[in-house]
Amino acid sequence: MLEGLIQFERARVAFGAMTALVDLDLVLDAGVVTGLVGESGSGKTTLLRAALGLVPLQSGSITIGGVPVAALARDRRRLSALAQLLPQDAAGSLSPRMTVRALLQEPGRIHGTDPWPAVNSLMAALGLTPELLDRRPHQLSGGQARRVAAVRALCLDPRVLLADEPTAGLDVSVQGGLLNGLLARQQALGQTLVVSSHNLNVVRRISTAMVVMYLGQVVETGPTAKLYTGPAHPYTAALLSTNPVLDPTRRVTPIALHGEIPSVLRPPSGCRFHTRCPQVQPLCRTEMPALVAHGDRQIRCHYPLA
Amino acid sequence: MNLIEIQDLHAWYGTSSVLRGVTLPIARGRILGLVGESGSGKSTLALALLGMTVGLDRRGRIVMDGTDLEQLDEPARATWRGHRIAMVFQDPSSALNPLFTIGTQLIDILRRREKAGRNPEQQDLRAAAEAALRSVDIADPAQRLHAYPHELSGGMKQRVMIAMALAAAPDLLLADEPTTALDATIEAGIVRLFQALRQDFQGSILFISHQLGLVAQLCDDVAVMYAGAVIERGPVASITGAPRHPYTQALIACELDDHQDSGAPIASIPGEVPNPSEHPPGCLFAARCPLAETHCETPQTLRLVGPEWEVACWKA
Repeated sequence: MLEGLIQFERARVAFGAMTALVDLDLVLDAGVVTGLVGESGSGKTTLLRAALGLVPLQSGSITIGGVPVAALARDRRRLSALAQLLPQDAAGSLSPRMTVRALLQEPGRIHGTDPWPAVNSLMAALGLTPELLDRRPHQLSGGQARRVAAVRALCLDPRVLLADEPTAGLDVSVQGGLLNGLLARQQALGQTLVVSSHNLNVVRRISTAMVVMYLGQVVETGPTAKLYTGPAHPYTAALLSTNPVLDPTRRVTPIALHGEIPSVLRPPSGCRFHTRCPQVQPLCRTEMPALVAHGDRQIRCHYPLA
Repeated sequence: MNLIEIQDLHAWYGTSSVLRGVTLPIARGRILGLVGESGSGKSTLALALLGMTVGLDRRGRIVMDGTDLEQLDEPARATWRGHRIAMVFQDPSSALNPLFTIGTQLIDILRRREKAGRNPEQQDLRAAAEAALRSVDIADPAQRLHAYPHELSGGMKQRVMIAMALAAAPDLLLADEPTTALDATIEAGIVRLFQALRQDFQGSILFISHQLGLVAQLCDDVAVMYAGAVIERGPVASITGAPRHPYTQALIACELDDHQDSGAPIASIPGEVPNPSEHPPGCLFAARCPLAETHCETPQTLRLVGPEWEVACWKA
C-alpha cells in the first residue's frame, strides 16, 4: 500500500442535523496533486479536516497508506509527521505570542529533530527573508503569514499535504511564490498534495487530478485536463464556465444556473443538483444518481454530458 | 464625453499617502474597471468620490457636471451622495440593517428620493420597491419585501444592495468588489445582472475588482492602480491585449489563464508594494520593475499612447 494514498469509504460527517459529508467514496492518489473544487457548503474543508481526524466520522472510514486515520490520530505526533494541513486561515493558525523563529522551531522541537536545515531551505524557496524571524504574526502581511504556515506544515517532510484555499485573499502578484514553493516540495518528496480552491485557474494550472463537490457529495472526479476540456457533470460544466478569462477569443458564455445553492440542512430530493440543473429530467427529482466510474473518471449524473 | 474628471487627487494621514495624485476621467454611460493589488487605493478612491474617506485629508478636484465636489460643504455634498453617486459594497451582509425588512430599507430610499413637498402614497412606494427588486431579477418581489436580511442568501442580498443603489437613479454607480464574497456560480449571476443593467441604466459604473479576468469580461475601460496612483488606463481590449506599463504586464502575467505547461514556474511580482509612508522620488514601481533604470527616478505622469490610452511610464 502506498504511503501517501488516501481512501475514503462511505465516510459520513455530520454536525448535528447537518450532514457535511454524505457517505463519501473517494481515492486520492499518492504522489499526485489533486484539486478540490466546489462552492460554500460543498464540504471541501470538512473533507480535508476529516482526512486528518480533526472531525470525527459518524460512519465509514478514512485511511492513509492503508492505516485508518482514527488509529493514526491516537498518536498525533506520528500522524503529523505523515500528513499536514495548511489551514485556510493560516495567519490565525500562528500563535500571536510567538515569534516567527519560535513558530518555525516548534515542529522540530516536538519531533526531536533539528528544524533548521529544512526551515532554512523552505524559507529560501518560499521567498521569506531571515529578518522576518524576529517578527510576530501581526507584523506579517497576509502572504507572509501564509508562507510561514506553509514552512511549518512542510518542515517535517510530510507524505501528505492538505492545503485549504492556499491562495484565498492573496494578491495574484504573490500567489505564484507560494504555489511554486508548494509544488517544488511536492515534486521533491513525491508528496500527495490536495489543494482546495475556488480559483479555477489555480486548480487547472497546478493539479493533474480533480474532485468536484456539491452539497457534501462528490459529483465528478478525473484528470484535470479532461474535466476542463469536457466536463461530464452539468455542475462541473457550469462551474468551469464561470472562470473569467482575459483573452476574448477563448472566452465562453457562463452557463446560467437558476436559483440559489440549497441549504445543506435541507438538501433536495433525488439528485442534489436537480433544482439548478439546466438539463434536469423527471428521474433526477426522485432518484439520487450513484457515483459511477466511466474510464478514468467518476460521474454522479443520470445524464452525463460526456 | 466624461461624466466625472478626477484631477490630481491626494488622500493622506500624517506622512502616509493613500492616494498620490490620481487623475482619471469616468466616461458617461460606460463601465470602468478599477484593478490593482490590496492597498493600491481602489476603495479609497471610491470613498473619495462619495466624500467619505474618514480619517484622511484630501486635496484635488472631482469635477462632475461643472461642479468641483471637493469644494462643497458637507450638507451640499450629502445631496450628491446616494442620489447622483451610489455605492454597492463588497459585503452585503454588513451593508444591510439587520433590524429592518428589505421593504422598509428600500422604501426609505425611495421616499428620500422624492422631492420635498410631495408626499407619495405608501402603496405607490411599495409598488416602486417591488419593481426595483424585479429589476434585479429577484423572484417573488412582493414576498421578499417582508424578508429580513438574514433570511436571504448572499447573492440575493447583493441583488437587494444593487436595487437600493439604483433606486435613486444615480449617474454613477460605484461597485466595490461586489462579487468577491460570493460563490462562483452566484457571482456569474451578478455579473450577468450588471451586463443586463446596461439596457436600462444610463449612468456610468465604476467596477472595482482584483480579478482582471472579470474586468475584461464586463468592463469597457480599465484603470490600473499601483500604490495610490493610476499608472495605466484605457480601453479594456487594448490593455488586456497589449499592456504597456511594466506593472500591468506583470499583473497580467500572474493571471494563470494562459494554458501554460505546468513545467514553467508560476509568475509572481518580487518585492512589495511601497509602504504609504515611503515617498520614492520617481516611479513608484521602479523598485520592483525589471526594466528600471536611472531615468525612472524622475516622477512619471500619464501620457497618451493611443486613443483614450494613457501610461505613466517613459519606457512604455
